[in-house]
Amino acid sequence: MVRVLSLAVLSLALLFTGCASKVDYGDAQARETVTTDFGSTDLQMIAAKMVDDMMVFPPIVEMTRDRRPVMFVDRVKNKTSEHIDTESITDTIQSKLINSGKFRFVDMSVVERVREQLEYQQDSGMVDQSTAAQMGRQIGAEFMLYGNLSSIVKRDNSTKDVYYKFTLKLLNIQSGIIEWSGEKEIRKTRKRSLFGL
Amino acid sequence: MKSVLAPLGALLLVVMLAACSNSNMARPGDNGEVELHTNNSLLGNRLSVERLREKTVGDLMYVQATLENGWKAELDFQYKIKWFDKDGFEVAPESQPWRQLVMAGRSQNNVQAVAPNPSAVRYEIWVRE
Repeated sequence: MVRVLSLAVLSLALLFTGCASKVDYGDAQARETVTTDFGSTDLQMIAAKMVDDMMVFPPIVEMTRDRRPVMFVDRVKNKTSEHIDTESITDTIQSKLINSGKFRFVDMSVVERVREQLEYQQDSGMVDQSTAAQMGRQIGAEFMLYGNLSSIVKRDNSTKDVYYKFTLKLLNIQSGIIEWSGEKEIRKTRKRSLFGL
Repeated sequence: MKSVLAPLGALLLVVMLAACSNSNMARPGDNGEVELHTNNSLLGNRLSVERLREKTVGDLMYVQATLENGWKAELDFQYKIKWFDKDGFEVAPESQPWRQLVMAGRSQNNVQAVAPNPSAVRYEIWVRE
């Protein structure tokens, strides 16, 4: 009877141990290869490549030598079959470009809120007019960043191969000329192991 | 049974040791030669920095490292370039990602990076598995 009871206690202990979960912090830049889906490592590699390429392109170097051109990010069209937050990629690229001290950005996603704030400062009677921001004084963007993210997926019984191509373009809004274009390719392959695990 | 378990145990040990490996670091020495610091003997023995080149583009440092895989098989690792200002502070440490690189056996690859901003005057190249 004692032996049965001991076994039951041991089994329960093993069961609870098996169900235990642990939360821990990890390196946000560690290689992420849980699946072949688009992941954080891909995002970081793409952003770094795009910014590096743009910064050393001779016409861009010349353009940013004595001034900080104003840009805005349009969007990166997701042409893959996955749900990918492409705004996250362009946010990272935008942050790197701003922090390089070479470019400035206008943010089209906050235009309405900026307008509300300007109207409040101008019309509410609450703000000292000597400190109020004036309407019609914003700086127009000179360049637009936009691009595509596409993928080709191939698979057979044991292998899945995913090829991503990210393309980013810098367009001069006034002339319509594409001043720079960069590409980053990523290939990820998943092979099923011998026992299908 | 014992004869089966022994090789499995050895294999597990090798896998565990590989999983615990650290980073290697390369940077130009005072005499311009490549200085290689190795914490990971496995990766360090197989990978070497053949050449480091640097120039200034506008006012940004631009570096190129020629890496050589001296091993006969493919090498899959990550590298990162850390940038430092004149006072030795790392510049934008969290914005510099580890970049993935797969090198064929007995091959050379050039890896390049641009400083995040003009304050960067020195760099180190780190690699890890």
